[in-house]
Amino acid sequence: MKHILFNELIGLFRNRLFMILLGVFSISLVLTTYFGIIHNNKQILSQNDAKEHIREQWDEMNHTNPHNAAHFGSYAFKPITILNSIDEGINGITGNVIRLEGHRQNDVMFSEASQSLLISNFGKLKPSLLLQFIIPLFLIFLAFNSYSSERESGRLKLLLIQGSSLNKIIFSKIIAIWSIGLTLLLITTFIQFIFTNSLFNIDILIRLILLFLSYSLYYLILISLTVFLSLLFKNSTSALSLTLVLWVMWVVFLPKIFGNTVEKINPLPTRVEFQNNMDNDRSKGIDGHNPSNERKDELIKSTLIQYGVNSLSDLPVNFRGILMQADEEYGNSVWDKHFGALYLQLTNQKNIYQFTGLINPFASLQSLSMATAGSDMFHHLNFLSQAEYYRRDLIELLNNKWRDGDWDENFYKSIKDFHYNSPSFLSFFWKYILDFVFLFLWSIILVVLLKYLTKKTSIV
Amino acid sequence: MIKLDKVDKSFDSYKALNKLSLNVNSGEIYGLLGANGAGKSTTLNLILGFLKPDSGFIKINDVNIINTDIIGYIPENVNLYPYLSGIENLDYFCKLSGFNYDNNELSSFLNECGLQEDAHNKLISNYSKGMRQKVGIAIAYSKKAKVYLLDEPASGLDPLSSNELSDLLKKLAANGSAILMASHDLFRVRETCNKIGILKNGNLIKEMDAKEITSEELEKVYLNFMKN
Repeated sequence: MKHILFNELIGLFRNRLFMILLGVFSISLVLTTYFGIIHNNKQILSQNDAKEHIREQWDEMNHTNPHNAAHFGSYAFKPITILNSIDEGINGITGNVIRLEGHRQNDVMFSEASQSLLISNFGKLKPSLLLQFIIPLFLIFLAFNSYSSERESGRLKLLLIQGSSLNKIIFSKIIAIWSIGLTLLLITTFIQFIFTNSLFNIDILIRLILLFLSYSLYYLILISLTVFLSLLFKNSTSALSLTLVLWVMWVVFLPKIFGNTVEKINPLPTRVEFQNNMDNDRSKGIDGHNPSNERKDELIKSTLIQYGVNSLSDLPVNFRGILMQADEEYGNSVWDKHFGALYLQLTNQKNIYQFTGLINPFASLQSLSMATAGSDMFHHLNFLSQAEYYRRDLIELLNNKWRDGDWDENFYKSIKDFHYNSPSFLSFFWKYILDFVFLFLWSIILVVLLKYLTKKTSIV
Repeated sequence: MIKLDKVDKSFDSYKALNKLSLNVNSGEIYGLLGANGAGKSTTLNLILGFLKPDSGFIKINDVNIINTDIIGYIPENVNLYPYLSGIENLDYFCKLSGFNYDNNELSSFLNECGLQEDAHNKLISNYSKGMRQKVGIAIAYSKKAKVYLLDEPASGLDPLSSNELSDLLKKLAANGSAILMASHDLFRVRETCNKIGILKNGNLIKEMDAKEITSEELEKVYLNFMKN
């Protein structure tokens, strides 16, 4: 087998066109990875500058009381992950800054896509774009006639008579072409490692390894499928046509079809509907029988009982602080109801979409590529949750201070900025098991089918 | 060494071979003549194990199972790897058979098969059909096979090279190999083979000893069978 493999590689490396294309793709990957890292670093620096600027404003702001400070608010910045330079996933669309303030929960803003002149279905030129769309095409073109060229030239009989087997020939060819895909993947991961290794920790390393593994499996699937079809049809043109049709289905049509179907199964409310429902609950009460005025009266009663006084003016604390915190907590429950349902819908959509990997391994690859880069929906929802819990703690702290009335400049300075604890990939691993399972399943099924077909294929 | 006994082979409704029986003994060169579609290639493919007979049996070296270790095969068109030189192609195919020859040994095989020394290191893409054919012969020869199966081996060879091929085959036969050669080339078959068989529509209609017939007589017999 090693002789066939070695011969295949010699054939590729002595082919001028192949070498030119390999060179072009290698250089493209080096450049896109490098520029992706530079762009990432710039974004990180910009975020750090913005954070410092906001902190300075916070520290210098002469807050008259904590309630004003709650209105002044703060910002939560979604950290740019190191591997965002390979696959920025949904980050370019969702944005990475959220304003945190009292009384209201805001949306994420400042998405790069909204500020870009270059709007494209394929997004920015990142290594993921090349690795998911361009390199697979290159591998298909290398693989589609690997069997038929041997058969049509008559070399196949000679190879078999010289003691080789069809099984060895087919798998040597697959491994040879796969090694080209792996080399291009290695170039990307190597460049990423060289320029960002000072920021690496065990989690980033695990993510990078799993990203490599995901793409490796996808390339194996694609090459095996191409060779499988070439064995099945024995005609290189038919095999190439069918492989390309399948590939276009995988990357263009099926994601759209399944995406739309999943949205139909688990529809999300429109922005207007969502806001109206939120406002409605805010004013009428969660269950529609608890209007805000009644809530206020009940709070006054319970506070007077708690402090053992007859009127608000006799309270030893500032009732407005208590009222604001109560209102905040009610607002939180409204948020939990609506955003909780929304997040659940988004999670359900994502979970259902993951099942499409059974038919479309490209869906599993995309999911894992974004997941390992920390730029998918699950990571985004995790950021939103952490930002919201920080906002609640911050506003509660400010309201309590307003209630107790003992704040000073040092109190404001002691308030810590939002810090996002990036989840480790292993803590999220269970969310992506399906994606891994489907990629492994596709690989195993194709290898088994190829083994079966090599036994059944007639040489003549 | 090669024994076919009442071998039948059909492709759908088309009967390619009809109770074909033939023997090629050690030291013998058997020339199988026939028009296109007579069943020559089917016969070779059956012996090579690429096809299975519907009935009858095939034995090589008295064994039913096809053992490619002892078979050398030369196709009509030897298409080798164009990005390898002649000697690299030979080396590659030898290694597949488990033979690891050094460059001198590989060169001597090519020389013995009539390929000029200065061509050994040139890329196959620069070879003529005849030169490729010689490398193909060297591949089979270097395997030190006991059985040789040749499908139009002289196709594309110039008269001198054809003559060299005949000499090489005679040498192999003299060393105890059994050779079955399918061909249209009456003259080459008559010059090279000990035994000649004529196939028509899957039937072996005539077998003769090459020594007992001249080229002209062979042509007459052949044409006579083909016309009737």
